[in-house]
Amino acid sequence: MKKEWNQPTLEVLDV
Amino acid sequence: MITNKKLTLDDVVVQAEGNIVSDMDGEKVMLNVSRGKYFNLGDVGGAIWDAMSAPRSIRNLVQILMVEYNVEQSVCEEHVLSFLGNLLDNQLIDVGEEGTRQ
Repeated sequence: MKKEWNQPTLEVLDV
Repeated sequence: MITNKKLTLDDVVVQAEGNIVSDMDGEKVMLNVSRGKYFNLGDVGGAIWDAMSAPRSIRNLVQILMVEYNVEQSVCEEHVLSFLGNLLDNQLIDVGEEGTRQ
């Protein structure tokens, strides 16, 4: 069974 | 390395060096050492990142993702090109053209 697709995003973390 | 360009499906992409990557709760988190910035790629982004461990065309990348995920090809292409554009803007990937594999 295939996985659900979510639009990939690049989140910049404020560390 | 190519920067400031619009990516196409024929471009060959590969992970840039100098990043420390870790899995956190199924999501891929990355530290770019040279710039001291942290990124969260998420689950799908992490799968894309893993697939770029060796140079491959974006077209091939989309084919790999379509085997693993339930997604239309046109949607997958659009999302992947946009995501890779963000990675390129942050110097997280290196890009060549088909036939110029490293």
